[in-house]
Amino acid sequence: MLIFILRRVLSGLVLLFVISSVAFLLLYLGGGDIARRILGQQATQEDVAAKAAELGLNRPLLTQYLDWLTHALTGDLGASWFTGEQVSAGIASRFAVTLSLVLGATVITALVAVVLGVWAAVRRGWVDRLVQVISVLGFAIPGFLIAVGLVLLFAIKLGLFDPTGYVNFTESPAGWLRTVTLPVIALSIGGIAGVAGQVRGAVVDALRQDYVRTLRSRGLPFNRVVFRHVLRNAGGPALAVLAVQFVGLFGGAVIVEQVFAIPGLGQVAITSTSQGDIPLVMGLVVATAIMVVVVNLIIDLAQGWLNPKVRLS
Amino acid sequence: MLHRKSLAAVAAATALVLAAAGCGGGGKTTTGGSSGGTSGGGTLTLGLIVPATTFSAQDMNFANESPYGQAVYDTLLKADPQGKLGPSLAKEWTYDAAKTTLKMTLRDDVTFTDGQKFNADAAAKNLIRFRDGHSPNKSFLGALKDAKAVDDTHLELTLKESDPGLLIHLSQNAGMMESPGAFNSPDIKTKPVGSGPYVLETAGTVVGTTYTFSKNPKYWDPSSVHYDKLVLKVLQDPTAMLNAIKGKQLNGAKLSTNDTLDQVKGAGYALHAFELDWTGLLLLDRGGKLNPALKDVRVRQAINYAFDAQGLLKAVGKGHGTPTAQIFPTSSAAYDQALDGHYGYDATKAKQLLSDAGFPNGFELAMPRAAAVGTTLWTLIAQQLKDVGITVKYTDAGNNFISDVLAPKYPATWLQLQQDPDWPLINFELTPDAVFNPFHTNDPKVTELVKKVHDAKTDDEAAPALKELNTYVVEQAWFAPWYRIESNYATDAKTDVQPQVGNAYPYLWNFVPKG
Repeated sequence: MLIFILRRVLSGLVLLFVISSVAFLLLYLGGGDIARRILGQQATQEDVAAKAAELGLNRPLLTQYLDWLTHALTGDLGASWFTGEQVSAGIASRFAVTLSLVLGATVITALVAVVLGVWAAVRRGWVDRLVQVISVLGFAIPGFLIAVGLVLLFAIKLGLFDPTGYVNFTESPAGWLRTVTLPVIALSIGGIAGVAGQVRGAVVDALRQDYVRTLRSRGLPFNRVVFRHVLRNAGGPALAVLAVQFVGLFGGAVIVEQVFAIPGLGQVAITSTSQGDIPLVMGLVVATAIMVVVVNLIIDLAQGWLNPKVRLS
Repeated sequence: MLHRKSLAAVAAATALVLAAAGCGGGGKTTTGGSSGGTSGGGTLTLGLIVPATTFSAQDMNFANESPYGQAVYDTLLKADPQGKLGPSLAKEWTYDAAKTTLKMTLRDDVTFTDGQKFNADAAAKNLIRFRDGHSPNKSFLGALKDAKAVDDTHLELTLKESDPGLLIHLSQNAGMMESPGAFNSPDIKTKPVGSGPYVLETAGTVVGTTYTFSKNPKYWDPSSVHYDKLVLKVLQDPTAMLNAIKGKQLNGAKLSTNDTLDQVKGAGYALHAFELDWTGLLLLDRGGKLNPALKDVRVRQAINYAFDAQGLLKAVGKGHGTPTAQIFPTSSAAYDQALDGHYGYDATKAKQLLSDAGFPNGFELAMPRAAAVGTTLWTLIAQQLKDVGITVKYTDAGNNFISDVLAPKYPATWLQLQQDPDWPLINFELTPDAVFNPFHTNDPKVTELVKKVHDAKTDDEAAPALKELNTYVVEQAWFAPWYRIESNYATDAKTDVQPQVGNAYPYLWNFVPKG
């Protein structure tokens, strides 16, 4: 197990290096005149040149990257070129916000998808068709539209939630719920559509297995067979999809945070990338890559716990 | 069936969570838990379209970022909504006859939030730091030779040459005063130390998104502070801004688009319209370096006649603006209403002028294009010029648009430029070294008129020269303006404000609770 974890960590480090190198290169190639963007159209060409020199943008690409890398290895991700905020502090404060959305969406996705998937697989007939239609609709409707629709109905029309902004849980749990509920629902819908379909398929397959017939013939209640045996066997594929959804939700948060003006990673990702704020974008790339590696490792371990065959392989 | 009950239990639990969220809903709490209330002493929550680039006074931006600086810093002078200057940290000021020495008498009752007293030495240091800093407006103090404290309350500024715009700039970011004790603070970009009406609360602030301020309890001018708390929310996405307005989360909001005006009005907000920018073409290569055709004034005039400003205002500006042919704002002494219609849309006349200039078959004009602006604008420009025989050859400049224009890599370009007060505008677009005169066009007549404006002892004395300068520039077709763009600021039913002449955002102290 330890060797397995070490191997995964090592491959994660290699991945981190490759991703950061590629990201830096892409930012450099597509960055344009960052100093001009920082200073605006009123600045003189001389001031712009001075700003570029101050930021070290006039140095060769390799020198700039090595400079960033050596600082990053010591934990110093630098400061945002546009706001002056320390990148590590900025990401840390926003990561908690996005994580609360993504975790909330993951929990709701898992709960609702399992309920819908199992229901469809067990009942079949119209229930099955209904769940499949819901899945297709969930996939087809863009998250952005869902977010806007939710805001219009529940925040503006009914006034039940805040249309924009975010309140920390520690500051006000009720305020936190008011600000995260709609974004979490908006984020969950696509995930539910994907995972419910996967759960349904896996449960249908599992229900056809011989061991189910055996358990039923021994007189075990159907519910016990489904929730204790079938779901555990069907859980593997569903968990894999949920893991992909979890990472994907960070991507979905980009749009949702923009619509709800939530100060999370997604919002800062859009702003910093369009501005060419290289230190901040690189910090986000590193944070995201680490998160993906960690999540995949956790999922691998969970898969092993669910299915001993995976553990052996 | 047991499994049905299990499913129902899960569904009920989910509903409970959502209901709990709904139970707490209905409040208009904004980020950080601040109240959106507007009565005197309450909270003022404003929507901005840009975050603060920095809080370091030395490097401060202005325009759309002005509320950040005005919250925490005082300026030496203060302008009223019409732009008339009045005292602030400086109680009195006088120029010498040559207008190269400015003497200011400063207040003696001002203390920075770190406890340090404000005095002439602090003021002098701040001015020199701004001149030598990295603000995009550092040229505002370009004429400053030196700033010295005569004593604690007397400041003397010596200039390399007189600068008619200096006093205005001292009421903006160039005149913002930061505590000298914070000059070398490593956190100065995010933790300002000033003497202004508010203090930034770092605990309630998420840099780039929400900035929370509390009232400075020791502020020297409490009558100008109308709220106990100030929240500046950055809403760069127009949809988010609109949702915040519809949800009554903002007392005031800068609108980045006129597409949503009806919805904003429908939400019960009052609109304050003002014209700040002009849009159109900049015919930069007046010497014909990259495109010889542009050297001929008739060609530049033909380009002016080629554009249907009224049609462009309707198609591009959705009717929000005023057609014009001049770059000076209506608030300027240079402004002449008659010049707004100096060039009407006349394709026949344009073709005739091109023919007279030796281009009966037109010519090719290289211009930059940026995808961020969409496609309609570029198509319309190309179509209108094509109609008179000019073929536009676009190059996608992407993120380098401004840099390439100023390099200069193109003889002409489309742009939207701010209508600054007279002297800053002249130095931004007309003088040989102006930022937006990248080919350094040096017309003796323009230079002569600019000198007259510069040497004028009073505004009244400068007015005729300004008018003549404006007329000359229009006649010489240095630009091909289409229209002045209407911008809008929205306030809720409990808040009132007056837009600031020449600035993108109303000044902070002009926000007042209604009634």
